[in-house]
Amino acid sequence: MSRSVLRVVAVPVMAVVFGVFIGALLIISQGGSPAEAYRALLVGGLGDSDAVLRTLQKATPLIFGGLAVAFAFKAGMFNIGGQGQLLVGAVFAAGIGFGIDGLPVYIHLPAALIVGAVAGALWGGIAGTLKATTGAHEVIVTIMLNFVAGNLTDWLAANPWKDNSGSNIVARTPLVENSATIPTIGAVPVGFVLAVSVSIACWLVLERTSYGFEVRSVGHNRYAAQYSGMKVGWIMSSTMAVSGLLAGLGGAVESLGVDGRFEAGVNVGLGFEGITIALLARANPLGVIPAALLVGLMEAGAARMQYKSDVAPELIDVIQALILFFVAAPIIIRWLLRIRHDDSDQLQLGAGWGKS
Amino acid sequence: MSTRQKRLLYAGLTALLLLIWVFYSANDLQTTAVLAGTVRAATLLALGAMCGMICERSGVVNIGIEGQFLLSAFAAFTVASITGSLFIGTVAGIGMGLTMGWLLAAMAVGLRVDQIIAGTVLNIAALGLTSFFYDRSRSLGIGKYTNIDLGPLADIPLIGTVLFSRPPLTYLTMALLFVVHIALFRSVWGMRTRAIGEHPGAADTVGIDVLRLRYFNVTLAGGLAGLGGSYLALEAVGTFSRAMSGGRGFLALAVMIFGRRTPFGAYAAALFFGFTTALQNQFQLNNTFDIPPQFVGMLPFVVTIVVVALSGLVGSMRDPAALGQSYEKG
Amino acid sequence: MTSKWRRLLALLMVFGLLTAACGSDSDSSSSSSSSESASSSSAEEEEPVEEFKIGLVTDTGKVDDKAFNQSAWEGALSGAAQIEGATTDYIETEESKDYANNIQLFLDDGAQVIITVGFGLGEATIEAAKANPDVLFIGVDQFQGEAIPNLAGLVFEEAKSGFLAGALAGMLTKSNIVGAVLGTDLVPPVVFFKEGWENGAKYTNPDVQTISTYHPGGLDVAFGDPEWGATTARQALDQGADIIFGAGGATGNGALIEVATEEGALCVGVDWDQWGTVPEAHPCLVTSAMKDIVKGVSDLLVAANAGTLVGGNFLGDVDIAPYHDFEGMVTDEMRATIEEVRAGLADGSINPMPE
Repeated sequence: MSRSVLRVVAVPVMAVVFGVFIGALLIISQGGSPAEAYRALLVGGLGDSDAVLRTLQKATPLIFGGLAVAFAFKAGMFNIGGQGQLLVGAVFAAGIGFGIDGLPVYIHLPAALIVGAVAGALWGGIAGTLKATTGAHEVIVTIMLNFVAGNLTDWLAANPWKDNSGSNIVARTPLVENSATIPTIGAVPVGFVLAVSVSIACWLVLERTSYGFEVRSVGHNRYAAQYSGMKVGWIMSSTMAVSGLLAGLGGAVESLGVDGRFEAGVNVGLGFEGITIALLARANPLGVIPAALLVGLMEAGAARMQYKSDVAPELIDVIQALILFFVAAPIIIRWLLRIRHDDSDQLQLGAGWGKS
Repeated sequence: MSTRQKRLLYAGLTALLLLIWVFYSANDLQTTAVLAGTVRAATLLALGAMCGMICERSGVVNIGIEGQFLLSAFAAFTVASITGSLFIGTVAGIGMGLTMGWLLAAMAVGLRVDQIIAGTVLNIAALGLTSFFYDRSRSLGIGKYTNIDLGPLADIPLIGTVLFSRPPLTYLTMALLFVVHIALFRSVWGMRTRAIGEHPGAADTVGIDVLRLRYFNVTLAGGLAGLGGSYLALEAVGTFSRAMSGGRGFLALAVMIFGRRTPFGAYAAALFFGFTTALQNQFQLNNTFDIPPQFVGMLPFVVTIVVVALSGLVGSMRDPAALGQSYEKG
Repeated sequence: MTSKWRRLLALLMVFGLLTAACGSDSDSSSSSSSSESASSSSAEEEEPVEEFKIGLVTDTGKVDDKAFNQSAWEGALSGAAQIEGATTDYIETEESKDYANNIQLFLDDGAQVIITVGFGLGEATIEAAKANPDVLFIGVDQFQGEAIPNLAGLVFEEAKSGFLAGALAGMLTKSNIVGAVLGTDLVPPVVFFKEGWENGAKYTNPDVQTISTYHPGGLDVAFGDPEWGATTARQALDQGADIIFGAGGATGNGALIEVATEEGALCVGVDWDQWGTVPEAHPCLVTSAMKDIVKGVSDLLVAANAGTLVGGNFLGDVDIAPYHDFEGMVTDEMRATIEEVRAGLADGSINPMPE
């Protein structure tokens, strides 16, 4: 038991080690000190309860984004539209959050979260439905919808839903009511707890329900699935909708938790980072959690790293790319460690690339 | 393409030409400006689409075009700035594109890393590296590529300005459309390429070295993306700034699929996209509708979705059968 | 099996050794990696000089963005140079959720003055100022609705700057069409520049036609899309505009560079004198609509050190940049008009943005 667990963990751990190592070389090439830089990075992400809070806060939307992409991957689909789905989820949740008052928290907060999730589901569902009915390629549609969502949410935050209180000129909504705010208990944001629960729920759905079984079957071999009577079209549409729901929920949690509102230009790139997280987690819903924590840690500590050791924050992007590379190329690590290469866990996500 | 589709196409083209003629008579300056802007916006997308289609027809998904654009633009700009030569800079950009293409091939074909991951790695690495090494004090010094008039052709009203008075890399791209089309559909190489993308197993039994051809194609396609990066830095803009590719690598993918993975189809799709962008610019310049810029800005994307949905009803945009799957001998 | 773990251990040891080795090497040196790093200008004097720590937090963006954040940083350096024992450092904000944390990093380190750049940081700065009354804050482009004693908001009347530039454009244009390529209407300073520009052009040239575009995309790309800037500038040029205002970070710079390729066309920069930062635009850059962030930050820093910093709003200087290679193009008559406009704006008789 312990040997196989070690085998599973060995590759990702070594991937992190290698990524960090090459990052250190890059730091040296710029004349910096890796020890100083990494120390600052760790302190910035873990050093005190504030830092831990920040890390968890940053990890939360990454978990949702990663789940969204991972879920779609299971059905053999590539949801590149997580960014747009996250944005609409965020703005509509904020809209419910600030637009209604007088509700008790146990109604207001879930309502806002649900609205955000539904908005994301709709946004993802458009691509899925168009695919199922007209054969429109979901990659095109989701890329387009990303841009549309960006424009739409910017406009909402700058015009009808703008916060015109005081001397504010920033394009953002007013603060959400207290009854719609996600609290923080100690150093743990409740949003993070929610993210972990959703992650477990995803795993349960995929591994223990018949729907999940169908999703995975379609992902493995859609023709066999079709042959055995599964409604492949419905599975694909609903998967995109679920994927969008997860991303939208992530956006909602951001608006109602960390941000307390929706602001234009914020939350940029979170959806795309979800792709990286899902890939790091090798599309495993539970694996998304440690991947998100790792990336969240790096992002939380990056400012301190720059401040204390003058290393540009982009370095963590490069390290992420390297870790991703090593995770996906276990053949290198296994060769180094002389572990026998087992083809069965070679990840094959692109196999389902928009099959039409 | 079926006869019915051909008839539709001709009808559509005729209608389009009529429309252009009407607008030109109404306001020649604006019409020329919009059409020139259309061709201009289409060039980068077309190059990206050609890169993508060569990869995909070989069976390899390339979502790293965005990163290829960015890093090649950086290389082209830096080298051109140092050497004082646009030409050497362009070559450097192409070289960087080839290198990144080779990296993608090494990862996806050699190490059998999942292709989407490989592309994502390129994208993240490109963004991180270009920002990490960016030197703000560097500028181009020499001007960017300027228009070259093709003799008397450039004097033709409207078409002359739009098509025959363009900078060199744009002409090169247009020429490449023909080259890639002939290569893909009329050469042995093209036949083999398409074979390994559809039925690598069958191709293998006929003696085609699937892996080696994929390696070659993906690397070569990277050169096209590299040219795109050079175009971006040295012809379109004239400098480098962080993340300047602005999502166009992904747009190129959409254009590629929309154009059914053929060069001319992709160019038509790119022109369409460029047109909607130029059009929405024009609406703003004219203050036509007094709509917020965000909504006008949605125009190209919404229209694309509608057209893609409608044309999905007309004919499918089928992927190559073996797209995305690693190939293993035996 | 054991050999595998030995390899693993060996690798880890090597890694550890290497990073430790590099660490000890650079620990002793005080050199830093990037080009714009902390500059220690502590004086070599007999009596110990008190260190005066200055920290700068940028908006999402870099100190080398050739515009906004960069000018604030230069102002900080300039001010620090005039203060004995001043050290300056900066943090580039990656995302707006980090504002409070980045300010806190400086606070934890005992900074005496913290400069925050951009209205996005407005709220975070106010909160930090209230929580730390012994630390002085300078907020660039942050209008203070209520005055807090230790927070000075450095604000500019962008419309006046745009008006001056527009007035010049109105006189210089031969085609009577002037254009503007702008970042986004979500950022009020950009809108003020544009409104001033259009009104100024019409003031000196009532027949002028003003055409302007905002970037159609979201806030995340609006200031970093020079390709769109160039294409749109070309579109405007093709329609007869012969002088174009590029206001929007890298996007605007793309427009400037495109105009530089057009024989006889002129371009106008923004925020500060872009002659120095966008040399590719020299062939067309007649002036820039400036807000003197460098001087504003520098002056406020010196005041902070002297203990004379006043809370509330501090109005910075606005003007248009020198004409450089185009001095000959601006006639004496035009200069006289510009002087008149300047005076009118200063004493309030000319309103750059009548609503």
